[in-house]
Amino acid sequence: MAFASVCTVRPPDAASPPEAGVVVMRGVCKSFIRGRNVTEVLRGVDLVVPQGSCTFLVGPSGCGKSTLLSILGCLLTPDRGDAWVLGQHLPSLDECGRQQLRAARIGFVFQRFHLLRGLTALENVAAPLALAGMPPVAARRRAAELLEAVGLADHAASDIRRLSHGQCQRVALARALANDPELILADEPTAALDETSGRQVMELLHRLLSEFRKTALVVTHDNRIFPFADRIWRMEHGQLFPWQPAPLAMPLSLVS
Amino acid sequence: MSLDLIAIKTLCSDRGKLAMAVVGVAFSVILVNVQVGLFLGLMRKAGMLVDYSQADIWVGHQRMHNVDFARDVPRRWMHRIKAVPQVERVEPLLIGFSEMTLPSGSFESVVVVGLEPQATMGRPWNLDSDDWRVVARCDAVIVDAFDSDKLEAPQVGELREIGQVRVRVVDQSRGILGFLVTPYVFTTFSRATQLLHRDPRHCSYFLVRVEPGADVEAVCQQIRERIPDLDAYPAATYSRISQQFWMTRTGIGLSFGAATVLGLIVGLVMVGQTLQSMVLDRRSEFAAMKAMGATHHQLFRILAAQSTFLALVGGLVGLAGVILIHQAFSTPRAPIETPWWLTSGSLGLVTLICWLAALVPYLHLRRIDPLLVLQGN
Repeated sequence: MAFASVCTVRPPDAASPPEAGVVVMRGVCKSFIRGRNVTEVLRGVDLVVPQGSCTFLVGPSGCGKSTLLSILGCLLTPDRGDAWVLGQHLPSLDECGRQQLRAARIGFVFQRFHLLRGLTALENVAAPLALAGMPPVAARRRAAELLEAVGLADHAASDIRRLSHGQCQRVALARALANDPELILADEPTAALDETSGRQVMELLHRLLSEFRKTALVVTHDNRIFPFADRIWRMEHGQLFPWQPAPLAMPLSLVS
Repeated sequence: MSLDLIAIKTLCSDRGKLAMAVVGVAFSVILVNVQVGLFLGLMRKAGMLVDYSQADIWVGHQRMHNVDFARDVPRRWMHRIKAVPQVERVEPLLIGFSEMTLPSGSFESVVVVGLEPQATMGRPWNLDSDDWRVVARCDAVIVDAFDSDKLEAPQVGELREIGQVRVRVVDQSRGILGFLVTPYVFTTFSRATQLLHRDPRHCSYFLVRVEPGADVEAVCQQIRERIPDLDAYPAATYSRISQQFWMTRTGIGLSFGAATVLGLIVGLVMVGQTLQSMVLDRRSEFAAMKAMGATHHQLFRILAAQSTFLALVGGLVGLAGVILIHQAFSTPRAPIETPWWLTSGSLGLVTLICWLAALVPYLHLRRIDPLLVLQGN
């Protein structure tokens, strides 16, 4: 889908974030033009994601969760407001700077994995390392360590087409960690998985976050995984609100 | 794990598309080599008499343009050529068209080539007897074994008629075939004048051998200055002039060139189609790579590695095909000349074509939005 920004107003001075946090957003706005209609998706979003936390972003489809994630992943720029990711002021970064920030310090987990067909699990995990210019032998060694960390050491040489969805998402998790990023952005990581696989993937993510001291922002609809969140934000009408799910909606038995 | 390996493994994972592209490249290599090879073979035949003559210089009537279509010049000018400094030896050669009567009562046009029995230049080669002097025998002519079908299988010792004059086949050569479909018949100079009904005081060419170390171009220039009615060319130059005669008069170069270009276009389309289809199939994967920080330069490198791989594999398959076709179909009648520069040049050309074919998919790839993977696609 093609998007076009309505405006790109940049603040004159935005050298450092006003408060501590891996992600800090202040009054972020984003609109899209679709045909003759201007859709205001984000309307002054304020958000702080503390270091080492696992923050969930929930809300109905089309409410702007993915747009927010795209801005944090340096794939979109805000029209107005300030956003800092890992201390970098996003509106001040050019395309090259955003690409470098994305490649070196942010890991992505996608809903449909988007692993490279034709490559083994090990090669898929090593792919971002190859993009980062790591020598092949070192990249394979690092990929093997990560596969071991996600419990897929035995499947390192398996073609990803032969792995189950749950295994694929675990490979994708390992890939997201390959470049040792400080921030993991996960877009509906359990949406394509059954309950058991989803739980296993979230348990794994939770363990890896504490083991590798990472921060994660997870966009999800899946109320089965809410217990894994340190904090949940709900997006409504282009704005974020702190949210506490109803206790009955939380399958606490899933918490490891 | 390198980008090149990622490129090749993802390409090889779709064997159907890989096979299609390899066939396309192999087809291009085969078509380029066979078409250009046939063209070179034909062109070689056009200058064959000159190339194998062992003469340094060919002298003929002013504006001579094809070895088979000569205009007579006075034979006495031979002495004036002999007088040119650094000329070691001069021999006359007579060439012209006549007709051979066949046992079935039919007849066949032939090109009669007449040389002195003691000639050292312009003689037929690859003779069965390996002895040119057999031509000194009574009524002797030499025909080529590869023209056997046209001449209704003439045997050594058999009598025939050329230009209503009786001749006897005394030997056979193997592989002296001109650009024309007309067979060559070699005989003595004096007998050739009878078969062609020509004035023995004239000849078609003077074949000249210069002294060792002599400047051939300078000798040619001196011959032209001494006898302005004559043209003189180094053998290689006259061979090229004879070939260009056919190229410019028949458009054969255009015909073979068009087929060659067609082959390259087929390769371009098939490789381009394969890479484009792979990019379309893997839009989300490329989008994910972009999201992970892959630069356009890195993505282009992936496509370039894939097109280079296709060029190499397709090129090798194509070369194997060229070797098979050469073994099976190359004959002296239709030779397929595949010198090293043609095979290596065709590989280089096909590699360029493959890189070119990667450009359109690359432009498509540039437009892939990494946001694609964050929209549930």
